[in-house]
Amino acid sequence: MKSLKITTVLIILTMIGGFNVSAQKLTGKQIIEKVYNRPTGDDQSSNLTMTLINSQGKQRIRKLTQYLNDNGTVEKKIMFFTAPADVKGTSFMNWSYSNGKPDDQWIYLPALKKIKRISSDSKGDYFMGSDFTYDDLGDRHPDQDTHKLLREETVNGVKCYVVQSIPKDKDYMYSKTITWINKATFVGVKKEFYDEDGDLLKIMHVNSSKNISGIIVVTKITMQNKQKNHKTIMSLSNVKINSGIPDSKFTERMMMRGI
Amino acid sequence: MSKLLTRFLKSPWVIIGVTLIVTVMFFFVMKDNSRMETNLDKYMPESNPAFIYSDKAEAIFGIKDGIIVAVENQDGIFNAETLDTLKQLTKALQKMKQINKDDVTSLYTADNIVGTDDGLDVKRFYKRVPKSKEKLDALRKNVLSNEMVYGRMVSKNEKVAIIIAEIGKDVFSQKFYYEILNLTKKYQTDKIKIHVAGRPIVEGEMALLGPKDMKKMVPIVILVIAVVLFLILRSFKSTLLTLGVVFFSTIWAFGLMALLKIPIYAVSTMIPVMLIAIGVAYSVHLYNHLQLFINENPEVTKKEAVVDMIKAMWSPVMMAAVTTAVGFISLLTSQVYPIKYFGLFTAFGVAVAWILSVTFIPAGIMVFGLPKRREIKDKNDENSFLYKIAAKVLKRKSLTIIITSVIVVLSVIGMQKIWINSSFLDKFEKDSDIVMTDKFINENFGGTTMLNLILDAGENPDAFKNPKLLSLTDEMQKKVVKDLKVVGNSFSLADFIDRMNKVMNADKEAFNKIPNSKDMIAQYLLLYEMSGDPENLNKVVNYDYTKLNVTFQLKSDNSKAINSALDILKTYKDDFKKYGVTMNYAGSGYKGLVFTDLILEGQVMSLILSLFIVIILLALMFKSFKAGLLGSVPIVITALISFGVMGFLNIPLNTTTALLSSIAIGIGIDYAVHFIEQYKNFAKETNRNMLLTAKKTMANSGRAIIYNAVVVIAGFLVLLFSVFPPNRELGALVSLNMFTSFAGTLTILLVLLSITKMYSKKNKK
Repeated sequence: MKSLKITTVLIILTMIGGFNVSAQKLTGKQIIEKVYNRPTGDDQSSNLTMTLINSQGKQRIRKLTQYLNDNGTVEKKIMFFTAPADVKGTSFMNWSYSNGKPDDQWIYLPALKKIKRISSDSKGDYFMGSDFTYDDLGDRHPDQDTHKLLREETVNGVKCYVVQSIPKDKDYMYSKTITWINKATFVGVKKEFYDEDGDLLKIMHVNSSKNISGIIVVTKITMQNKQKNHKTIMSLSNVKINSGIPDSKFTERMMMRGI
Repeated sequence: MSKLLTRFLKSPWVIIGVTLIVTVMFFFVMKDNSRMETNLDKYMPESNPAFIYSDKAEAIFGIKDGIIVAVENQDGIFNAETLDTLKQLTKALQKMKQINKDDVTSLYTADNIVGTDDGLDVKRFYKRVPKSKEKLDALRKNVLSNEMVYGRMVSKNEKVAIIIAEIGKDVFSQKFYYEILNLTKKYQTDKIKIHVAGRPIVEGEMALLGPKDMKKMVPIVILVIAVVLFLILRSFKSTLLTLGVVFFSTIWAFGLMALLKIPIYAVSTMIPVMLIAIGVAYSVHLYNHLQLFINENPEVTKKEAVVDMIKAMWSPVMMAAVTTAVGFISLLTSQVYPIKYFGLFTAFGVAVAWILSVTFIPAGIMVFGLPKRREIKDKNDENSFLYKIAAKVLKRKSLTIIITSVIVVLSVIGMQKIWINSSFLDKFEKDSDIVMTDKFINENFGGTTMLNLILDAGENPDAFKNPKLLSLTDEMQKKVVKDLKVVGNSFSLADFIDRMNKVMNADKEAFNKIPNSKDMIAQYLLLYEMSGDPENLNKVVNYDYTKLNVTFQLKSDNSKAINSALDILKTYKDDFKKYGVTMNYAGSGYKGLVFTDLILEGQVMSLILSLFIVIILLALMFKSFKAGLLGSVPIVITALISFGVMGFLNIPLNTTTALLSSIAIGIGIDYAVHFIEQYKNFAKETNRNMLLTAKKTMANSGRAIIYNAVVVIAGFLVLLFSVFPPNRELGALVSLNMFTSFAGTLTILLVLLSITKMYSKKNKK
């Protein structure tokens, strides 16, 4: 459990006051840690609309209802497809462990009426055919990269830190990332991903965020693959934080039963 | 006209100066602005519906031609050394700046999706190279049980694994090819052999080898022509001036192309071929007349001789040039731009050759003097060899007609056997590296030639989630692969669904088929997107599931092979139509096929068109429709025999060989015009002594025709020693066409002139 209250107070204070958190200059690593440790709540439920747009401008729209619960050691997530109609009822469950154990994943296909465990050896897999990898969406631990504060600049009127992160693992799918972080809220504004050859691969933009129950939730985010000219927009609606989602929600039985 | 030309004789240096200046100007324009067009796509007419569709489909599915790098180890590939080579080579190719990382696939990059009792396992076959025997065995077992890889990425005998690197259209260059060869060479060891193949390599090699070989051969061709010309003309000056006409007309034609910013296409190399044959003809006719005139009138001055030459020859040379040029201009009806340009600039070159023949050559003679008078053994008398020939031909008219008829009938029979071939591989020597490598890969894998069938459901979203439609596709694929030996493999969305169905049902073989629920298919697809690489799906189905890309791998790129597959596919047309699905095709192999058809169609059309134009023009020029018809005889005979011989010798029609029939127009007209013109004149001169007319025509025009044919044939026979088979075919066919043009003119045309009693009576007027 993160010291939720204190941080929240701090964030609200900084937002109201607009003053710098501290006089001493933050290092790149400290900034990324602050982003990583930013409270996201113990649980969350929302409706997710995922729009995939290919280079010809064609779209695939998928709608899901998702539940998330983080007890500090396991982050559990369950998602139910609601559209398109032919995959309605398909559900997906992911348990992610903070001790580094590989994720557990299950899929339920209503047409097959069977739950299957999925084991995948790659964290770099793209999330449901989108331009986001699981890593892009989730928490990449700050210790996995070497961070450097490059500069500070203003993006769309928002003062930002610009931090470069280079992975310690040389075989990682990105050679570096550059993140623009809102100085006041420590919410990412924009992020560039560079491929193994050092070429710009993707750009992520945070389009909107909302303060829900004192927690800043990014509600719309766009990822653009510059090399493939492919784009994914994820938007959240009906977001509820800390509404007390029980552990029993994250079971195989629930996957089959549906929402 | 002859007055104007005679007036030019007063200032020969001006003519020579102007000619040289214009030539130098064109030469520099050509040197600075000429550009070879190597992108084969630029050759195709963009407005043709087949190409528009294919281009669109290529963009949607990312259909590209692939370079195939095969790693071979006779001890099998499942050992650390070979697997490491495969990995390193894959990574090295991914790092090349001309290649997109995602466009490189091999066993190293492939995902292995396996079903287990309670789930689904998505793993790379290997990331770190396995070393222990257990791990190597496990990898081998995985490969052998995965049809998406076994037989596709790894050969069934387990001795070869391939890496496919797809490249964009204008990526291939000599440098790039050498980079790849050097790269692969580094990984060769005693045990591991590496082979490079694939259509980009074949296309690229062909584009490079043809011109390279020509560069070597052309100087020899010109040398031989020069020597033979010298032997015939017996004059160094005359030989030089004749070659001047040929060179200058070629430089002007290419200079004008460069000036108009029109690139040089592969078929443009045929322009000099035409201009050599035609340009030499004009000069030889002039010199032949000149020589005979000086022989008969030993006392004439230089000027008198030249004036006589101009007076006698300007009209037939002009008639020949105008008809020939119009014949070539008829190629503008072709849909294919390189062919249009070929026709246009050859016509321009012909016009230049004509103008130079009647200005530059006379000017040259004025400046450098007459060629030496020489005793022609074969005098124009009754003992002359050519006189005898004329007499013999006319004595045995029926024999000539019978022989000609037999040859024509045989040619028509031969033409039935002719086939069109758009193959690139067939243009290489059977024992060349490129053909051997291709054969090697075809023996071990599905095939190096891709044919893409695009199933199109129009605006009906999710059409290809329909199980019936996918089952039909599956059935069609299996039938084509089963029925045709030349088709080694096929691949489509159906294969993905088959595999997913099997995997989700604990890998039971009974489930290796399309499930019969649309929702099930939709859910498998979603699952694949979530667990596999969605890029793989984008290559087989478009975003809204309205178009399917079915790939067939063929072991040959020749048109017979592609057509045999198309024939079976077309039997499914009605079945697919029931679902509102149309069949279309895409990919470079298919486009090559359509393209060759287009060229041929254009060539045949233009041959027929130019035949009509020639008949009309000749009829107008000789003021006789009969003369027009007779004048077309050498063209028809030359074209028929050319196609007939190709049919019998199994030489397929392709872009080069089809264009060669143009020689029939260029040379056939020339011979006919000169022959008929002289026949007409001699008829008047000899007071309608038709036998003497025939003899005299044979001794004058006939001699020039023989000379011209001998020079060009000798030159082009040199190409028989070329290392590039298409250039050999070119040499043989040019020689053949020259021979039949000349033989046809001197025999059947003469016989027909005699039978139809042309010019044997005084004209009405």
